[in-house]
Amino acid sequence: MSERLVPVVCPYCGVGCRLYIRSVDGYPVGIEYAKDIPNISNELGKLCPKGNAVVEYLLAKDRLKKPLKAKEQGKFVEISWSEAIKEIAERLKAYAKDDPNQLMFFGSARTFNEPNYLIQKLARMLGTNNVDHCARLCHAPTVTGLKAVFGAGAMTNTYKDIEEANVIFIIGHNYAETHPVGFRYVLKAKERGAKVIVADPRFTRTAWFADIYLQHYPGSDIALINGLIHVIIKEKLYDERFVRERCVGFDEVVSAVEKFTPEFVEKVTGVPAELIVEAARTFATAGKGVITWAMGLTQHTHGTDNVRLLGTLSAICGYQGKEGAGCAPMRGQNNVQGACDMAALPNVFPGYQAVTDPEKRKFFEEFWGVELSGEVGLTTVEAAYAADKGKVKAYYVMGENPVISEANANHVMHTLERLEFMVVQDIVPTPTMEFADIVLPAAAMLENEGSITNTERRVQWSFQAAKPPGEARPDWWIISEVGKAIGFDKTGSGGFVYNDAADVLREINACTPQYRGITPERLKENLAGLHWPCPSPDHPGTRVLYKEKFLTPDGKAHLAAVPEYRGPVEMPDEEYPFLLTTHRYVGMYHTATMTMRSEALKKRWSEPLAEIHPEDAEKLGIKSGDWIKIETRRGAYPIKAKVTRAVKKGVIAVPWHWGANVLTNDALDPVAKIPETKACACKVVKITEEDAKRLMEKLPPVIPKIEVVRG
Amino acid sequence: MARKTVFIDFSKCIECRACEVACEREHNGMSFISVFEWQEMAAMALNCRHCEKAPCVEVCPTNALYRDKDGAVLLAPQKCIGCLMCGIVCPFGIPELDLINKIMGKCDLCAHRRAEGKLPACVETCPTDALLYGEFNEIIRKRREKFTEKTIELAKTGENIQLTGV
Repeated sequence: MSERLVPVVCPYCGVGCRLYIRSVDGYPVGIEYAKDIPNISNELGKLCPKGNAVVEYLLAKDRLKKPLKAKEQGKFVEISWSEAIKEIAERLKAYAKDDPNQLMFFGSARTFNEPNYLIQKLARMLGTNNVDHCARLCHAPTVTGLKAVFGAGAMTNTYKDIEEANVIFIIGHNYAETHPVGFRYVLKAKERGAKVIVADPRFTRTAWFADIYLQHYPGSDIALINGLIHVIIKEKLYDERFVRERCVGFDEVVSAVEKFTPEFVEKVTGVPAELIVEAARTFATAGKGVITWAMGLTQHTHGTDNVRLLGTLSAICGYQGKEGAGCAPMRGQNNVQGACDMAALPNVFPGYQAVTDPEKRKFFEEFWGVELSGEVGLTTVEAAYAADKGKVKAYYVMGENPVISEANANHVMHTLERLEFMVVQDIVPTPTMEFADIVLPAAAMLENEGSITNTERRVQWSFQAAKPPGEARPDWWIISEVGKAIGFDKTGSGGFVYNDAADVLREINACTPQYRGITPERLKENLAGLHWPCPSPDHPGTRVLYKEKFLTPDGKAHLAAVPEYRGPVEMPDEEYPFLLTTHRYVGMYHTATMTMRSEALKKRWSEPLAEIHPEDAEKLGIKSGDWIKIETRRGAYPIKAKVTRAVKKGVIAVPWHWGANVLTNDALDPVAKIPETKACACKVVKITEEDAKRLMEKLPPVIPKIEVVRG
Repeated sequence: MARKTVFIDFSKCIECRACEVACEREHNGMSFISVFEWQEMAAMALNCRHCEKAPCVEVCPTNALYRDKDGAVLLAPQKCIGCLMCGIVCPFGIPELDLINKIMGKCDLCAHRRAEGKLPACVETCPTDALLYGEFNEIIRKRREKFTEKTIELAKTGENIQLTGV
């Protein structure tokens, strides 16, 4: 018996906590806190409940162990790896020969950088830019919005800077629940005397710690942020020198926010005018300030504008390019940043190099040795509509679960049914698998190794802590086998011949400027990892971005002027009188595929509860624990009610892990193409338990049974 | 030696329940610390106080409950007869009946971890440092020091100080 402590990165949220897995002969038996590694993102080895339960999902009874092929929808037979790879390669090749844009690839923010690099390489070498991943559904506006203002779409600072800030503005983000270990830094700053401003439609656990709490209506963020900028400009609280020397477009901002007086903003957002003035003064005069946000801000048709305004707010206060300040988008999944960096996106090559730029394209054509498409590909929601029209015929889905995660899930399911060919590669059965033609068993993150990039651009190496079950294989291995079978079997960067994940990272070093110095050797030696950009092997990594200049062509911050107020596209009316918003639980993670397989988490966060204001509840005759039906123009969802003052009157808040996306709106932000998952109109009625059960049967099950038949 | 136990600074608790999950992992699926929601938003963790004059130890007819060298109240499973007396006298309702083995279970301040020089799992994991492991008077003294330091600092910067509750 050999017992080892293997250093890994937590497979849950974007904080990127380090921990040790206690492994006996390749079996994970427990964890140990990483107290002895200096400078990691989870100081003193702290972990949230999900981090404490990481071993449980690895041992789930229904882990996928063999490749499966569908006989009919939802019924599978076991096949061998060689059969599966051969069939996939043949089908992909046939579609690519016909028209590569019939293919759609999904990268995954839940797996390492290496497989994400490989899947986009595969898509692009087959001749299409149709590759995307779930960042489209969470932080696409962050990438497009911050890029417009500062020239790049990543967090501008690190957790250390949150700790050092004097004011922290948290908007559209329940920090304490979504990233408990990250919230540690907010509390440490607060203990030092920093002020915390929270803007959220729900009185969340984060709001409990706020010095100033702004409870605005879902989707009224533009008015709120413009209101803050209005006060800061009116009272001349902005950093004049910073604006003069490092920003352009200030005059447009001044005229754009003219009408957003505190009184006007109060009418639109429901936040008292004097609180807006107080928040603006507190934020602008603190000297060092950080803004953090997440899906509450981005999942709107005006998500990009929201983020641009936050960038502007930060820039005019001079909170850029210095320590203790910056903009901090909080990533939900563990490798959203990495999957974006690796270009599992339809418009860029690795390192955010535009596919439309002929020079960059030429570099990659030489690097990979094939001709590449210069046409921007389809995003996830666009692909669903293209598949509906028959333009996209095949999906390759790696570690994603669109049936639960995409807005307007009923439409997504309808689309998946229409596809001619779908491959799903995952670790456990997901509702998406019902529609798959081939299912590939992947090794979970802790069962293989690779690099992973957390919210604060920190790239870390995670080691293999356990043996994969049955014939499950690492993601990078599966995609490289498919690549080789298609015919890309050259060695070097032109093919898919790799010995291990480190080989793939070396190729990434060669073509991604930000990752040039982040070699596998350095990462394996330095467990705390490196912050990109790290342009050479002797570069120490970069903690704070934009110290001298921004990454825009002229090096200046391009302030955003958004003179028009826009709310959600679907506002409450007589038929649908409530405003629906979604949120998450601290112990549940995304589509709950992993967390619902952990007993400790499942028993604490066993079911979703719809939050409803006491006055609304009384009108509808609803008490806590009653079954209700929430209905929107897209679907119906049964759920138990929780009467609480945490939500505003007229707002219903529902956790989305259990499939509430059948309700949400898929109207898109024109720039970032993110659907408006966070706000739509709905109606609520009380129902009986039997009705609820009947409705439930029509919904996709969170934990489906994959039926394996013989022959 | 002064007796150490786990205290909670509930002004820092975010009700993430990491302590519960950590305890459950260390104690074969039973958690001996519970987080309660209080008045909708505030949260509070409740765990064994390892009382100075512990009624559970006093009433145990078989001496299954005893103190270890750090002063933690432990349970010797082979001596426990599952009579539930300890649970009834405990003012916090801490000892629980293990329904399978019909013996009691309670917080042992992670004896196996302390033996290796580590902190109890709940304290080790708490993301916001709301759980503190230490001797009560020591913790109070540290808080007092911190408060004084802060007051002096504020006085230096000349800010208007409001000393509420002093």
